[in-house]
Amino acid sequence: MLGILIKKQLMEIFRGYFYDTRKNKARSKAATIGLVALFAVLVVGMLGSMFYAMAAGLCPPLVSAGLGWLYFAMVDLLAIFLGVLGSAFTTYAGLYLAKDNDLLLSMPIPVRTIVAARSFTVYLMGLLFSGVVIIPALIAYWQTVPVTAAAVIGGIVFLLLVSAVVLVLSCLLGYGVARLSVKLKNKSWITTILALVFITVYYVFYFKGMELLQDFILHIDEYTGKIGAKLGFLKVFGEVGEGKWTAILVSVLAVFILCAAVWTVLLRSFTKIATADRSGGKAVYREKAARERGVMKALESKEFGRFTSSANYMLNCGLSAVFLLLLGGALLVKGSEILPVLDAFSAQFPGLVFVLLVAAIGALASTVDITVPSVSLEGRSLWILQSLPVDGWDVLKAKMSVQLKLTLPPTLFASVCAGIVLKPSAVEWILLILLPVIAVVFYTAFGLMLGILRANLNWTNEITIIKQSLMVLIYMLASFAYGLVVGGLYFVVGPDLGAVAWLSIVGAVTAVLAVLVLHWLKTKGTKRFAHL
Amino acid sequence: MLRIEHLTKKYGEKVAVDDLSLHIAPGEIYGFIGHNGAGKTTTLKSAVGILNFDEGEIFIDGISIKENPLEAKRRLAYIPDNPDLYEFMTGIKYLNFIADIYKVSAEDRQARIHDLAERFKLTADLAQPIAAYSHGMKQKLAVISAFLHEPKLILMDEPFVGLDPTASHLLKQMMRELCDRGGAIFFSTHVLEVAEKLCDKVAIIKNGKLIRSGTMEEVKGDDSLEEVFLELEEEK
Repeated sequence: MLGILIKKQLMEIFRGYFYDTRKNKARSKAATIGLVALFAVLVVGMLGSMFYAMAAGLCPPLVSAGLGWLYFAMVDLLAIFLGVLGSAFTTYAGLYLAKDNDLLLSMPIPVRTIVAARSFTVYLMGLLFSGVVIIPALIAYWQTVPVTAAAVIGGIVFLLLVSAVVLVLSCLLGYGVARLSVKLKNKSWITTILALVFITVYYVFYFKGMELLQDFILHIDEYTGKIGAKLGFLKVFGEVGEGKWTAILVSVLAVFILCAAVWTVLLRSFTKIATADRSGGKAVYREKAARERGVMKALESKEFGRFTSSANYMLNCGLSAVFLLLLGGALLVKGSEILPVLDAFSAQFPGLVFVLLVAAIGALASTVDITVPSVSLEGRSLWILQSLPVDGWDVLKAKMSVQLKLTLPPTLFASVCAGIVLKPSAVEWILLILLPVIAVVFYTAFGLMLGILRANLNWTNEITIIKQSLMVLIYMLASFAYGLVVGGLYFVVGPDLGAVAWLSIVGAVTAVLAVLVLHWLKTKGTKRFAHL
Repeated sequence: MLRIEHLTKKYGEKVAVDDLSLHIAPGEIYGFIGHNGAGKTTTLKSAVGILNFDEGEIFIDGISIKENPLEAKRRLAYIPDNPDLYEFMTGIKYLNFIADIYKVSAEDRQARIHDLAERFKLTADLAQPIAAYSHGMKQKLAVISAFLHEPKLILMDEPFVGLDPTASHLLKQMMRELCDRGGAIFFSTHVLEVAEKLCDKVAIIKNGKLIRSGTMEEVKGDDSLEEVFLELEEEK
């Protein structure tokens, strides 16, 4: 039974890799392999190599100082950080909000099987995110020390234990959000705000931890011996990676007890939370004077309503808008300290700091992906827009307007902050303002195009559309490419072209791409959307 | 009011609707019956512009749904077989959204929402999110939204499913009122007793083909509609 439920969930998550919803038929093997390869390039190739580079630098000095356990302790903290961050926003929906709750509960399936199947999906996400950190770290470790059976077993157990801790923390967070959510009226907003507070606290701890780590590496001789005694459990957990049998035994036992405790909490509360009335108490209707709005306003309001109704949607697709504000603020506060460091390269690459900042703002702004799932999220309600007398282009414009209105103001804020710190020339000011704006317009339209091309209207959990769909992955890859191309290529062409010429070319190309995609949306996109 | 001419709709190789023609005049309640998968929903969805069709033409009040979909859609309303509405909206927000799209004036919408919600006993729930509605409440809201802009033609797919007896009776009454004002109704149903009592005309579809249509007397003669339907179903 558990196998059937897990298979059903995996089918939903990975359906896009095997099934073409537009053509309503299975993909060819070549197409599936291509899509899986694309995923591998993004996750393993990019993130994995990034973490490998970090681990390869950290591992030899720590191991030679006899601090292998500390190396693994740091890896485990980073993996838990990434794992929890990656699955925190999806756990609540993943565990409790599936549309097939009533169906499954009405069938002769034990509740523990349903909870186990749902938890497995959460575990898988955690394993994916923590694995991206741990596997490269293990490879770096095995390159440094002689590979023994104990080290290999320890490494594998280490990976499984860390992913289990991620599962425990994610489930506790999901459970907490669920308990709050049942009682709250404006639950999507409150959940979002709580999640933002959580992220802020997380980041503060993370950066503080990084500062401590730097301090530790600088004064490694002073700290050796002191730290092990103070961070006993962390030491034991770290020793698992080294393959020490006692540490493996103790850690497995400890994590097992943690898992059992969380399992009991989830099991006892599942039915009550999954079937709870989430209306947050009955609102009383008081007749008010009606107001007329134009068609566009009505459509935009509907799209904003959809976006703000779901904490998952806001957090997973709109969070970068908040990060843009933070980036702007950080530039104002810390810019004068950080930028001179980069400026050291300006003799070789004139205007490098300026180019990197434009690339960073554009790349961050392009990670807002509200339009990508917006078509699929229409789901079974799509008939409403299709049967109403509204122009398809107006519908698509309304979908884009949410992303544009939420992304452009913080983008401009970040650009202005960068300008205040950099004090650029008039032409550079124009580029600094204009380029991120063009990037936002392009990515907004591009996201919507992906959403139309691979719309999936038959989902049972919105998380599969918002976070786990293939189109979201492709979009993220494309937004990652923006920073890489604009910033990275400058190291190649910068000395010859200079910053202004290079950014002018980037702006022109992005603008042309934006016009092409908008044209596609207005012509073919509206036709496709009308008869999805 | 609704003229369907030689409608053919295929899904890949499968012919869902095969050369179907129907004329529904103002003032008529036209029933549409057939077995599951006969092509009723496909016909209705084609008529309201949701589905593209392969051959034929459909005119709403003389306007082609293919050539001028927006003008045609302004004259009609559609109630699907399952009321999948915007669950993130409250009932009143949904009604105002529909009224905005159809450009119903503030005064008119206020009066109509008040009247229709009172009649369907939904007023107290209008501030609730649609996600908290029962199936029947969603169906009532779908019906109210369909009548909100006073369309000339309403197409309904199994409109009585989920409605309580009072709401069901009220809907029948409203269907008749709309037709008495010169409008028209085209609806599918499996409840043959309802079709028999309510409809002026009826069409029977089987495997995508129209096999009988006309006034109730023409279709059923002295038999019951159920007997005629079962007899036609048994024929190869």
